[in-house]
Amino acid sequence: MPLALVTRLARRIAGLVATLFAASFVIFAAVYAAPGDPAVFLAGGRDKLTPERLAQVREQYHLDEPLVVQYGRWLWDTVHLDLGRSFKYSDQVADLIASRLPSTLELVAYATVLYVVFGVGAGILAAVRRSTWVDSAVVGGTTLAASVPSFVAAIALVSLFGVQLGWFPVTGSGSGLAGTLHHLTLPAVSLALGALAIISRVTRQAMADAAASDHVEAARASGVPEREIVRRHVLRNALGPIVTMCGLVMAGMLAGTVVVETAFGISGIGSLLVNAINTHDFPVAQAVLLLMVTGYVVVTTLVDLVHPLLDPRVKEAHA
Amino acid sequence: MTTTRRRAAVAVVVAATLLAATGCAGADRPTGGAAPVDASKLKLDATTPAANGPLTKANWLLENEPDSLDLDSQGSSSGRIVLTSVCERLYQLQPDMTTKPFLAKKAVTSDGGRKLTFTLRDDVTFHDGTKMTADDVLWSLKRHASKDMEQSDEFENVTSMKKTAANQVTVTFEAPDAMFLKAMAGDAGIVWNKAQVAKSGKEFGTPGQPDACSGPYELAGWKSGDSITIRAAKDYWGKQPLTRQIVFHWATDSAFVNALKTGAADGAYADAPNTAAALRADKDLKQYYGPSTASLVLIPTDRGGLTDPRIRRALSLALDRRGIAESGYGGLVQPWASPVGSGAWGYEKAEFAAAQKKLDRLAPASPSDADLAAAKKLVKAAGAPTDPVVIGADASQGRTVIANATRAALQSIGIRAEIKTVPPAEFEEFYSDPTARADIDVLAGDWYISKADPMGFYDNGLSDSSNNWVHYKSKTYDAQVKQALSTLDDTKRAALAVDVQQKFVESAVWIPLAQVPTILVLNKKLAGPTASQAYLYYPWATQLGVRKG
Repeated sequence: MPLALVTRLARRIAGLVATLFAASFVIFAAVYAAPGDPAVFLAGGRDKLTPERLAQVREQYHLDEPLVVQYGRWLWDTVHLDLGRSFKYSDQVADLIASRLPSTLELVAYATVLYVVFGVGAGILAAVRRSTWVDSAVVGGTTLAASVPSFVAAIALVSLFGVQLGWFPVTGSGSGLAGTLHHLTLPAVSLALGALAIISRVTRQAMADAAASDHVEAARASGVPEREIVRRHVLRNALGPIVTMCGLVMAGMLAGTVVVETAFGISGIGSLLVNAINTHDFPVAQAVLLLMVTGYVVVTTLVDLVHPLLDPRVKEAHA
Repeated sequence: MTTTRRRAAVAVVVAATLLAATGCAGADRPTGGAAPVDASKLKLDATTPAANGPLTKANWLLENEPDSLDLDSQGSSSGRIVLTSVCERLYQLQPDMTTKPFLAKKAVTSDGGRKLTFTLRDDVTFHDGTKMTADDVLWSLKRHASKDMEQSDEFENVTSMKKTAANQVTVTFEAPDAMFLKAMAGDAGIVWNKAQVAKSGKEFGTPGQPDACSGPYELAGWKSGDSITIRAAKDYWGKQPLTRQIVFHWATDSAFVNALKTGAADGAYADAPNTAAALRADKDLKQYYGPSTASLVLIPTDRGGLTDPRIRRALSLALDRRGIAESGYGGLVQPWASPVGSGAWGYEKAEFAAAQKKLDRLAPASPSDADLAAAKKLVKAAGAPTDPVVIGADASQGRTVIANATRAALQSIGIRAEIKTVPPAEFEEFYSDPTARADIDVLAGDWYISKADPMGFYDNGLSDSSNNWVHYKSKTYDAQVKQALSTLDDTKRAALAVDVQQKFVESAVWIPLAQVPTILVLNKKLAGPTASQAYLYYPWATQLGVRKG
C-alpha cells in the first residue's frame, strides 16, 4: 500500500511538472505574441522613440533573439529561482510578487470562507426543505446572484456600503486582522457571490442524489431519526462533489481576482498582471501567469488527492 | 527634451460607463448635478488659497504606483509627484512656471553663452546629515547625462562638465543653450547624494531603499504594492513644511473616484479630465484648474490626403473644438489654437498670450460659416483626396469624441473619413513606429513638454525631427528654431518663438485642438498646494495644510 501511494504521488508530481512545463511555454509564447512592442515602453518618453534607440533597447533586453532562445534563457533562470527584474519597475520580480501575493491570497481565502459557509449552508437548507418555499427562495436567490458579474456586484456594493452608507472602506487592503477584514469584506463578498450560487446548487443536488440512495431509504425505514440520516448518511455521501467543486472554484478564483482588485484599488497579483500586460512587462506577466497556473494545478491536484479520503467508493475504484 | 505622459484615461471611462450603467453611482451622479463647465471660460490659476494651519498627516492619491524612485532610470508622473518634495534641483520651477536658482545660488554665463558656471549654496545638507558638495553636483549631472538615462537628451549640447572651485561647477556647450537652465529645474537638475546612491547600488530607487536627496520631506517607507510615506525631514536646511507626513496610495478607475469621494484620500492631481468631471458635484471636494503645457492635437502622418498642407489647414478651420471639449472632456479642456498649453509660457507671458489670440483664426473654437467656406475653397484648390482619411484613436471617451469630430469636420468639407480604433498599447506605438501608423492618416494624440518654454516643443517641426511625420520642410523654420534655442535673452527668444509658432500652425504640421489644464482635486478643508503643472517639479506638498488655522 505505501508503495502504491508513493508511485501514485510520483506520477502526480511528474504530471504536475509536465503540465507546468507545457503551460510555461504557452504562456511565454502568448505574452510574446501579444500585440505591441515592449521596447516602446522600455525606451522612455515618446520623443526618445527613434528606431536606433528601440533597436538598442531590444538588444539590451534580448528582445531581438528568437522566441525559443528567449524561452530557454528564461526557463534556465526560472529553474534557478531567478525570475529576473521587471521591465517597468526596476525591482526584482520575486520581490514584486512577494509583496502583492498576500493581498490576493487573503482575498481569496476570505471569499472561500464566505462561499463555503453560506453556499453549502444554503444548499443544505434547500435540500432538506426540498419543494418548499425555502427551496424556491434559495434557488431563486442564487440564480440571481449567479447572474450578476463580479464587477457589477463590486460597483454596486461600493456605492451602497462604501460611498453612501460609509460602512466599509472603498480602497486598499488594510493592515492588521481587523483592518484587513474590514477592507476585504466588500471585495470578498463580490468575489464570493457567483461562487455561492454554484456551490449551493451542487450541494443541493449532491444531497438529493445521496438522499435517494437505497441505504438512506433503508435507514429511514428502520426508524433512524431524520436529523441523523441527513448528517451521517446524506451529507457524508454528498461531501465528495461538494469539496471537489469548492476546490475548483477556489482554484479559479486565484486567477480571477483582477476585476475585483481593480474595482477596490487592491494591489494584488491580479492588478499586477493587468499592469504588466498593458506595459509589456514580460518578466512580470510570465511569472504571475505561471504562478496562477501553478496555483490552479496544485489546488486541483490536492482536491483529487483528498477526494478518495472522503468518499470510500472512489478509493475502491482507484485500488 | 519633451516628455510625454501616458494616461489611464481608457480605464477611467470604462469605470464611469459602468457607474452610469448600473445606476449605482453613490450619493452624487458622476457628471450630473453640477452645471457643465463652459470650456472656453475655464479659469486657470497657478496657486490655491494659502493654508493656515498645520496638519499631522495627509493621504494623497496617485493614479498608479511609481515604477521607481530613481527618476534617472524611470521617470513617471507618479514618481515625480512623490519625489518632487523629497529631492531638490539646481534650479526650481515656481508655481507660475518661471524658474529661479535653488541649490545653485546663481548661474553665470560667459564665453558668449558657451560657458555656464553654477555657484552652489553652502548650507545644504542631505537627509543623511552630510553636506552637499560640488562633487555631488557634478556626479549627479554626469549621471543624468549618461546615455541610457531619462534626461540624457538635455545634455546633447554639452561638451564638458567640471568642478572649477570648491563650490563651483562649470558646464561648457557647443553652442549657447537656452533650454539648459530650464532643464536644471526639471529632473535633469536633481542633485543626488553620491555616497547614498552608491550605497544602494542596483537597488537604488526600489522599495526598501532610502532616498538620496536634500528636500523638505524624506522618504519614510515604500511598501511595494501598498503605499509610499514621506515625512518632514529632520533638520531640513530650509523652512519646515506645514504637513508632517504624507501617505501616498494609488488607485485607478472607480476606486480613484471613490477614495476621494469618501474622504479616504485628501487630494490628488487628476490625470484625466473625465475623472475630475465625475467628482465635480461632490460638496466635500474642491477642484482647482491650473496652467499646464499639455494639449490635445491631431498629428497627421505622411500618407493620405492630409499630406497636403491646404487640406490640413482646411481641416483645422472646420473642427468643432468646443464640441470636443464639452462632450469629450466635460468642458475641462479648453479650445486652443497652438500645440502647447499656456503653462509653457514661463516668460514674456503677455507676448505669448497675444500671439496665441492671433492664431484663433487658423484654429477657431467653433467654425463659422466663413471658416467653412474658406476651408472648402482650400479643399477645392488642393483637389479633394479620393481615399477616405483614416483617423487613429483608442476607445477612450475623449479620443472617440475627437475622432468623430474630426470625421464630421472632414465630411463637412467634402472629404470621406473613417476611424480606426486600437487598444491602448497599440495606440502608444503609433507615436514611435512608422510601420504601426502605416495604416492611418492622422492620430488623435496628446502631448506635453516638461519645460516652461514653447521652444521645448517646436523642435518637433524641424526637418529632421522624428516627430515631424508629415515631413514639413522649411529652411527658415529650421534656422529660426536653432537660433531661438541658442538665444539666452528671454525677450528675443520669445519673439523668435512667436514666429516659429506662427509657421508651425499655419503649415498645420500638427493641428491644435485644446489645452489640457492641470486638475487638483482637494478636500475642501485643506489648501495650499500648487495648481499648475509645476506640481511635477516644485515641492507642492510643503504648502499643503489646513485651510483655516
